[in-house]
Amino acid sequence: MWQAIKSVLAAFLGVQKDSRRREDFASNRPGIFIAAGLLVGLVFVVLVALVAVLAAR
Amino acid sequence: MRTLLVWMAGGLASAALTPVALANGWNMPVGVTALSRDIYSLHMIIFWICVIIGVIVFGAMFYSLFRYRHSKGAKAATFHEHTSVEVIWTAIPLLILVGMAVPATATLKNMYDTSEADLDVMVTGQQWRWRYEYLGEDVAFTSNLGTPREQIDGTGEKGEHYLLEVDKPLVLPVGQKVRLLLTSDDVIHSWWVPDLAVKQDAIPGFVNENWVRIEEPGIYRGQCAELCGKDHAFMPVVVEAVEQERFDEWLAERQQAAEEEASSADREWSMDELMARGEQTYGAVCASCHQADGQGAGNFPALAGNEAMLEDIDWHIDRVVNGVSGTAMASFRNTLSAVEIAAVVTYERNAWGNDSGDSVQPSEIAEQLAEQGE
Amino acid sequence: MAFHLPPKPTPQHSTATAGGVAEPGHAKPHWLMRWLLTTNHKEIGSLYLIFSLTMFFIGGIFALVVRAELFQPGLQLVRPEFFNQMTTMHGLIMVFGAIMPAFVGLANWMVPLQIGAPDMALPRLNNFSFWLLPVAFGLLLSTLLMPGGGPNFGWTFYAPLSTTYAPPSTTFFILSLHIAGISSILGAINIIATILNLRAPGMRMMDMPLFVWTWLITAFLLIAVMPVLAGVITMMLMDINFGTSFFNAAGGGDPVLFQHLFWFFGHPEVYIMILPAFGIVSAIIPTFSRKRLFGYASMVYATAAIALLSFLVWAHHMFVVGLPLVAELFFMYTTMLIAVPTGVKIFNWVATMFRGSISFEPPMLFALAFVVQFTVGGFSGLMLAISPADFQYHDTYFVVAHFHYVLVPGALFAILAGAYYWLPKWTGHYPHLRLSQWHFWLSVIGVNLTFFPMHFSGLAGMPRRIPDYALQFADFNMAASLGAFLFGASQLLFVLVIIKCVRGGEKAPAKAWEGAEDLEWSVPSPAPLHTFETPPEFHPDRH
Repeated sequence: MWQAIKSVLAAFLGVQKDSRRREDFASNRPGIFIAAGLLVGLVFVVLVALVAVLAAR
Repeated sequence: MRTLLVWMAGGLASAALTPVALANGWNMPVGVTALSRDIYSLHMIIFWICVIIGVIVFGAMFYSLFRYRHSKGAKAATFHEHTSVEVIWTAIPLLILVGMAVPATATLKNMYDTSEADLDVMVTGQQWRWRYEYLGEDVAFTSNLGTPREQIDGTGEKGEHYLLEVDKPLVLPVGQKVRLLLTSDDVIHSWWVPDLAVKQDAIPGFVNENWVRIEEPGIYRGQCAELCGKDHAFMPVVVEAVEQERFDEWLAERQQAAEEEASSADREWSMDELMARGEQTYGAVCASCHQADGQGAGNFPALAGNEAMLEDIDWHIDRVVNGVSGTAMASFRNTLSAVEIAAVVTYERNAWGNDSGDSVQPSEIAEQLAEQGE
Repeated sequence: MAFHLPPKPTPQHSTATAGGVAEPGHAKPHWLMRWLLTTNHKEIGSLYLIFSLTMFFIGGIFALVVRAELFQPGLQLVRPEFFNQMTTMHGLIMVFGAIMPAFVGLANWMVPLQIGAPDMALPRLNNFSFWLLPVAFGLLLSTLLMPGGGPNFGWTFYAPLSTTYAPPSTTFFILSLHIAGISSILGAINIIATILNLRAPGMRMMDMPLFVWTWLITAFLLIAVMPVLAGVITMMLMDINFGTSFFNAAGGGDPVLFQHLFWFFGHPEVYIMILPAFGIVSAIIPTFSRKRLFGYASMVYATAAIALLSFLVWAHHMFVVGLPLVAELFFMYTTMLIAVPTGVKIFNWVATMFRGSISFEPPMLFALAFVVQFTVGGFSGLMLAISPADFQYHDTYFVVAHFHYVLVPGALFAILAGAYYWLPKWTGHYPHLRLSQWHFWLSVIGVNLTFFPMHFSGLAGMPRRIPDYALQFADFNMAASLGAFLFGASQLLFVLVIIKCVRGGEKAPAKAWEGAEDLEWSVPSPAPLHTFETPPEFHPDRH
């Protein structure tokens, strides 16, 4: 799972090593990446919203 | 090779044009409020950031195009990733953006602070005019396009402020914090004056807030910015900023005029008076849809020879006062005075060969309005 | 009219193709029935491309009506009522009728060829989703002839202008948009099914060409947001015809709700129109740089990130409707963040060219122009993201300049680049070089002359969608109108290039471009009607 989250974070940044993505795609378990994507996406939204709320004060 | 030269010439030309682009009339106005200056400087900062990034990226690109031409025997390298470089060119824009977000957030918070206003003005968008109401001052009026039709149709010479002039401008005092409360009677409009850096949608059923503190007396012009139907181009905003004393005088004059208008509803009006006033009101308010010759256009019905209207004067008055829901025919209950309603109804029943001979007195309208208002 | 028709099908195909048109001994159908009933991905691809080219010219004529009226101040040619119909129809036709079908057409042609599939996964559905389009746009165009005229409320059709105050033809507009939406969803389902199921043995997801990747992500976006569009136009339909008040404040509804729903569809829609363009450019630049694409994995991941972010930024189209401060800040931050993955793509393309071996064939010219001009559009997008400044930019010609830079010298140039790139594969001939170059240069000059001055007129204070304007905007508008006519006329050269290319020209080999790598270059040029009946050998380490 941690690997998947790291890959998803890399995706958010838009930078990924070729070797890492080979590992990712060797695992053949898309479910875990989708779950990680949703999780990180959610965290991202909450984080930005939090910053916005704090900044608006 | 020639291709490249043209590309580079194009690049140089656009670089050379940049100073021209920053000259007046090509760029966002600096404006006359503290906020408009803040916004202008945000605009210029982000503009120069874009220019710098553009020079670097396009520079690298054109260098590569020039240096590694196949026709000059360039051999392609084989690298296809470099993680640290990628991380760097991701991180730098991220940092720039954070740096940009900080001042933008501060400016935005300032824009949203509508508290402690010295004066409240209600701005109501209508197809296709603005109505201004000085809350608590008993002053309200409608501001229509001032440019004559001939100039638009090309039969007359266009004036200096073509399409940016109105019959009655919004008059505001300088140095005061004026809160604008915006709404609409029909579709969404947007009230915009570039020099004041105020643009806010006027939405039916909602009241939006914005504010302005003008620093210099002057006349500032803008337009409706949200597509609102056929005459969207013809509902300008003109703000006249004056010194406080001048503003107080003006406000007193307007209050007196409003009182006179209200009291004149009580007296008897002659047919000629009603027709003259009616023609004026019709031209300012009704003609944009029903046309100056009363023939209507498209979905807007003709009034000349309109039998339903000529048969029943009460029906006619009801349409003007209450509008027709679900159509573009607005309610003019709050927009027009009793005198204006009486005059325009009388005018419509007697102009363009309608010749019904009917007339209605302002006092009758005032009575009806009072009844319906209860 | 049509692209070069591939050779007649031969009997041996009947067993291998799921949706082939021919059975052994079957008589050749009449040409009309052949095109009407075809289930072949190449033929349907050609139909899509021809349809979109037709729509491009119709929408272009509408744009030229607009530009002709705006040539100088005053009302000269058309009345404001008709002007509004022209701006609206121009937008609708170009977005839903030209750009989107062009990408679907390219996907139909190239996705099966690039992944080594014999055809699309659902060939009959494919036929259906194409033929919905002429119906939808026939209906849409017919509204111009109806009493009260066609849609006149802008392509964003904000309520209540598009409901309570709309012309009677609006119900037809809603129906036509529904049909076009169904077509898009079916097309997207087909593309996803094809990509996930029909890849050549040995081709993993991460071996797919970027055009396939970007289309896969685009297809998911389509499936996610087209139902939202369908929902919002159905609510309009109810408001207009059945007395509901979703968007009518007088009945307790909310006009701003319309904008939230519309832009929740509309923003991903914008990426639907640009992601496949990224894919095309990511194929062309490595080919003519004779070097592998820099950061392939990053490109894929960045595309996914852009797709995800596209759902989180919709309200940046609504900065002046009176959002709460927190919402304003949230959408400003998310919008600014989109610049990061987008920037990564541009840097990667430049890094691909760096130390390559670059030549300047017509597809490369268009792709390079795409990179530069799309970036210009990206810069103005970044400026628009700054919410306080957007209070000045919003609904002005600055916005018009911005999205036209992204869509015309951006998406459209990528489509043209793709067409020049794959024309040898489609027709077996190279496009005429001189004519292609003329087409390119005139287009570049025309498009920039049209849209660059709009930045200035917008900053100087000219609102969008007005048929007449104040005198200080006259020079910019005159330049833009001249540019528009130049650009419009130079597209006729493109038609000429296509016709010449279909008829003949320099013969192209299977691998038409020296640096081209993907699977489509392993089949003969022109590509026979049926390809990859036996799955090709795939060598995974190309990417």
